[in-house]
Amino acid sequence: MAHIPDGIVSVPVLVAGAVVSLGGLGMGLRRLTPERVPKVAVLAALFFVASLVHFPVGLTSVHLLLGGLAGVILGWAAFPAIAVGLILQAVLFGFGGLIVLGVNIANIALPAVLMGLLGRRFLARPTLAGIIAGGGAVAATALMVAVCLALSGREFLVGAKLLVFTYVPLMAVEAVFTAAVLGLLVKVKPEALEMSS
Amino acid sequence: MKALLIAAVLIMSASPAWAHKLKLFVSAEGGEMVGSAYFAGGGKAAGLSGHVIDAAGTVIASVHTDENGAFRYTPPDGRAYLIRFESGDGHMAEARIGAAAMAEAPPPALTPASDMATLELALARQLRPLREQIDALESRARLSDIIGGIGFIFGIFGCFAWLSARRRGQP
Repeated sequence: MAHIPDGIVSVPVLVAGAVVSLGGLGMGLRRLTPERVPKVAVLAALFFVASLVHFPVGLTSVHLLLGGLAGVILGWAAFPAIAVGLILQAVLFGFGGLIVLGVNIANIALPAVLMGLLGRRFLARPTLAGIIAGGGAVAATALMVAVCLALSGREFLVGAKLLVFTYVPLMAVEAVFTAAVLGLLVKVKPEALEMSS
Repeated sequence: MKALLIAAVLIMSASPAWAHKLKLFVSAEGGEMVGSAYFAGGGKAAGLSGHVIDAAGTVIASVHTDENGAFRYTPPDGRAYLIRFESGDGHMAEARIGAAAMAEAPPPALTPASDMATLELALARQLRPLREQIDALESRARLSDIIGGIGFIFGIFGCFAWLSARRRGQP
């Protein structure tokens, strides 16, 4: 699961996660111009609430992440948005631990930003952009979680298999959702995507 | 538009707001520990393996949940234990059971001398569903938390906008 609780990952992974998160936050905050703040706030709120929408998968359930969508719309500014959402999810809902916040932020925000930036290149075809950003971000997050667990001494294959099994349906849902939102935005409000820049 | 409709239907069909994490509930029944593991909102955690760890940190036994996510274990003595369950994909739950709870007499024979122990066993059985219910209630995401969180987000970004606007206003 994307929200790793405390006591699972080892100290080197914790430190690496914190470093990546701080770096990403720095990048994001530098690009956070006052005009873009409201948009970042709205997407942070969307990310925060999206985690409450659950889909039953096998024995457990997965919830929406919507990182890819934030990545397409915000680029690097998605980093602070996701970080704020994750901090509040940890504090208010107990999703994921407080000590592993750095790792969780890195696992969700970094794929979101990278796949979002990749998806932006295909905005002329919003469906393709949505599949790349929405599905790709979830897949990359699952991979990063599996790597984090493996580096902390868990069996990589067991974790990776479980994660892929639970995340494939989520990838499909996120791809459809992201594609739908992007398709609508391109038609109705292209300036929200800052397509000229 | 069709895709948006599909997405809307998918979201509508999702279950309501529950916290999503592995939860563990353990109680003592006459020297035996009885517990259950479940995903808050997602159902019972069946076939999961966990460890019973004593105060010194050594694993003294491993336990497995049945198809209802339940498990039973009788420790060799009535000391305090830590029960820890972990699934392969990074869920983890821990529960402690105190020496006071475990120190009860072993399952009593039905003789008059063991009336007190029988009573305590019966009480523990009766109270268990109630305690499980309280436990599950606690892990639910409440509407006030959700609204509060959204308010927090807008407050944080509002402060950020305010500060950066002030910085810009200065020559």
